[in-house]
Amino acid sequence: MSLMPDDLEARLVTAAPGGIRYSAKTDDKSVTTAWCVLANKDDLLPIAGLLKAMGARLSTMTVFQPKAPAAPPPPKEGEEAAPAPTFFGGDVASDGKSYEIDYHFDIEGDTLTVVAHVPSGGEIDSLSALYRTADWNEREAMEIYALIVRGHPDPRRLFIDPAIEGAVLERLIPYSTLVNSASTKGLWEKILAQTGSKS
Amino acid sequence: MSNFTIPVGPLHVALEEPMYFRLDVEGETVRHVDITAGHVHRGIEYLVTKRNVFQNIVLTERICSLCSNSHPQAYAMAIEQIAGLTVPPRAEYLRAIADEVKRVASHLFNVGILAHLVGFESLFMHVMEVREMMQDVKEGIFGNRMDIGANTIGGVRYDIDPERIGYLNEQLNKVEPAIAEIIEMYRTNGSILGRTRGVGVLSNAQAIDCGCVGPVARASGINYDVRVKAPYTAYDRLDVQVHTLPDGDVWSRAMVRLAEARTAVDLIRQCLRALPEGPTTATTERPPIPVGEAIGKCEAPRGELIYYVRMTDSPRPERVKWRVPSFMNWDALGFMLKDAKISDVAIIVNSIDPCISCTER
Repeated sequence: MSLMPDDLEARLVTAAPGGIRYSAKTDDKSVTTAWCVLANKDDLLPIAGLLKAMGARLSTMTVFQPKAPAAPPPPKEGEEAAPAPTFFGGDVASDGKSYEIDYHFDIEGDTLTVVAHVPSGGEIDSLSALYRTADWNEREAMEIYALIVRGHPDPRRLFIDPAIEGAVLERLIPYSTLVNSASTKGLWEKILAQTGSKS
Repeated sequence: MSNFTIPVGPLHVALEEPMYFRLDVEGETVRHVDITAGHVHRGIEYLVTKRNVFQNIVLTERICSLCSNSHPQAYAMAIEQIAGLTVPPRAEYLRAIADEVKRVASHLFNVGILAHLVGFESLFMHVMEVREMMQDVKEGIFGNRMDIGANTIGGVRYDIDPERIGYLNEQLNKVEPAIAEIIEMYRTNGSILGRTRGVGVLSNAQAIDCGCVGPVARASGINYDVRVKAPYTAYDRLDVQVHTLPDGDVWSRAMVRLAEARTAVDLIRQCLRALPEGPTTATTERPPIPVGEAIGKCEAPRGELIYYVRMTDSPRPERVKWRVPSFMNWDALGFMLKDAKISDVAIIVNSIDPCISCTER
């Protein structure tokens, strides 16, 4: 039996004045997976506050840049061009560069994923004040994308060395660059250059 | 009394994998811990988007050795939801068997290392010898000792015949009394109790705050186990006993793992008794994977492992994200190590059953 409250959707609607798109599916083992897409990313904090008060646990978060939909055929003469595609809510362009941020909450085994969309170079509120578990997740998101997490208490790099340029998942890093230390000759030359040795 | 800063790691005799701890100590007592991670960051989340759905079964199994079976399982569960594949009943039981075999070996490994860190070498060797019986099981049933390659999209890629079932039962008959004996040792031995009782305490409130899962959470009184809360494979038909303890110390974490190892033996037996006949995969072809997204969750030896997969019109996933149970335990270590003695640091770090390759991906 799913342990999600029956009125979860109604509670989420009340907490998000910008509007939500809600869907839920329960499998044959009675495990429910629900999705709550926010029309306005600024509704994230009240939604997270509601879930925290309900005892939900923040399992993890996912950030990625969804691929833009295929361009529509050019308009025929006299017709208007189709509007540029956007995510739910209409404010954020679905241009392949905007971010989708999925917050996966656990409610007694069931999963609720709250989805926010942020334009490229945009900001999202930090959940770290509500959830300790958001801290490392947000630090990781900030180093692999050029996403700004507003109000993060400790926005240091998590896994990737500060010497490496950020937003590593937003650009091509050739394999030879990725593994530069694995080449004995390359590494040796690097050490010689850094130490100023001649041989 | 003087204050010092002591570095532990990234390469340290007490760590099997690299992690850097900066300990601020006052005399013999740890006052503050700062953790620097990233030494085994391999960019695997990037690599999975460069391989197709089926190749990723192989790659995800190589994220970590101890919970190597859990990664492809949770990944496959997410893909099966997107593709609408129903795993046949026999495959569900075989998945549970693979899960529990790995759990026994993983838990015994961690508890064995605890004996080593306490300085009880003969107990360490004994526990590893018992674990070796499960390693033999893996080699005998799956053909490999760590990466057992049990899962495929839509089912499993191994099967067991009556001869192998007989061998597995024979091994379980040896392992079960050996685990019972080990439990008694850890419950009563003065050397173990002296170094682990009341050491590295994580309170129930702190464990909830840190979002801990698995044996670390259950040893702090949190009754959460994915196999019961969000059943998958055959667990909805098995009697899964969840073990919790209230004290949240190193000893409690070891005892929960030992109790779970014993329960895992029982679960394998339940599976063998109920193992239905039938196919081991939903399809023998490579099924088409439509556009979609899904969550897959399973109980890895260290706790809840969650996978998110998004597929578009490409055979390669647009995004795969996973969060391993160790991810939250590093934060919890800050509570466990606060006011601990320097000599207990290695024992406390080991008690979260740390998995750095998993954490950093």
